[in-house]
Amino acid sequence: STNPSSATAPFPRDPLERKPALCILADSREICSGAEVISSLKAAHGVKVQVCSLGSGDYIVSNRMAVERKFLSELLSSGNRSKVTQRLQRLQSTFERVCVIVEKDRVKPGETSRFFQRTQYYDGVLAALVQAGIRILFSSCQEETAGLLKDLALVEQRKNAAIRVPTEVEGHKRAMLNFYLSIPNLSYLAALNMCHYFDSVKKLANSSPLDIAAGAQVSPQKAEEIYRYLHYGFDVQMLPESLCTKGR
Amino acid sequence: PVTAGSIVVPYGHVIGNEKWRGSEIAKRLQGKIRLIFEDCLGLVDFHLSNRTCILYISEADLVAGDEFKRRLVRFRNASSLGGIVIVEKTQISDQYFLALQKLVVLELGMVLLPVTNQGEASQLITQLVSFYVREQSKDHNSNPFLRKQCSQLAEPSLFRTVQQIPGVGKTKALLLLQQFGSIHRLCNASVKELELVVGQTVAQQIYTF
Repeated sequence: STNPSSATAPFPRDPLERKPALCILADSREICSGAEVISSLKAAHGVKVQVCSLGSGDYIVSNRMAVERKFLSELLSSGNRSKVTQRLQRLQSTFERVCVIVEKDRVKPGETSRFFQRTQYYDGVLAALVQAGIRILFSSCQEETAGLLKDLALVEQRKNAAIRVPTEVEGHKRAMLNFYLSIPNLSYLAALNMCHYFDSVKKLANSSPLDIAAGAQVSPQKAEEIYRYLHYGFDVQMLPESLCTKGR
Repeated sequence: PVTAGSIVVPYGHVIGNEKWRGSEIAKRLQGKIRLIFEDCLGLVDFHLSNRTCILYISEADLVAGDEFKRRLVRFRNASSLGGIVIVEKTQISDQYFLALQKLVVLELGMVLLPVTNQGEASQLITQLVSFYVREQSKDHNSNPFLRKQCSQLAEPSLFRTVQQIPGVGKTKALLLLQQFGSIHRLCNASVKELELVVGQTVAQQIYTF
């Protein structure tokens, strides 16, 4: 295929090259639905892909940007409306930047090329995304999607937001990661950054919002949100009954 | 002239560049929104609101060469307005789309929306305008993707978070939260204080976590 973005090799193969390899996190569900995206990222673009259970978003390309991959057919009819809006709302409250890649549906063998009638609903979705400041990219296949993901990661790297921490964690750090991941609206990457920056949960708990912003690589507002959560006074009266009694 | 500065767009109106008078887009828009023509819009094709405008790239522009790129870059350098680029992506111009997308979205940071013809463009513009009208009328709930400040109760989340500490299940999580009140205080509790709530082993586990 002629993919212009793959023509520009990411980095020269120089062992002294200072720039670290690009890294992208992929949600584990993408192993099934986007196998070619992942293999193309690795093989054609030389990107390090770490598959993990992201919870929200299909890909994370930087400290602050999540990418959601959607088939064109999912956006053409209102049948998936609530699923699509719920996922994007969640991303909007977790990440500073959100991008949607609209991918053309694959034509199955034996099926004549599907013709999609553009709908008013689809235009409404596009308009809503634009107004909400969500970036939109269009792709005609999985390989092209991989190229776009790499391009996004490159742009984020130029803006000093690239993923720099080790993406695999084990033992005590794994337990800490799970602890951080339970903080509401915290991205997988912010949790990962916190794991590597703070030696213990106690260190994090005693940090100022400014320290949290630096450690988790998040915006001051998000750091403030984390700070408030760590200091929030628990009131057992506010806990739903169903949660209290289950453990008894 | 470059002219990419802001322009006052009356509520619910679209201001179109004079060159679009009589076009298919204009004809289709006119039934649905109030379209006013002006001949000094320069680089811009349509103004949707005081802050947003549209630059239209036709199939012919794409095929003809790089002139449209100069127009986009000049617009970006001259204007702080949000620019939406609408492009005719057809069988003929499809081969140029990827490179255009890279320029517009990734390098210039503008919005790019493909259509196949002017009819589709008019439908898309109508939807865009309807969102700006709703925005101006402060009807924010109409856009499901806009960031909302939802005030969720923190208690269920805190309960879940504390259960992530090794050795702590539902019962102990509840006891710990009732005793210490916040994660901050729980993290700063001494082993002795913890022992009063949970057993020795778990107290040590929590303390070293």
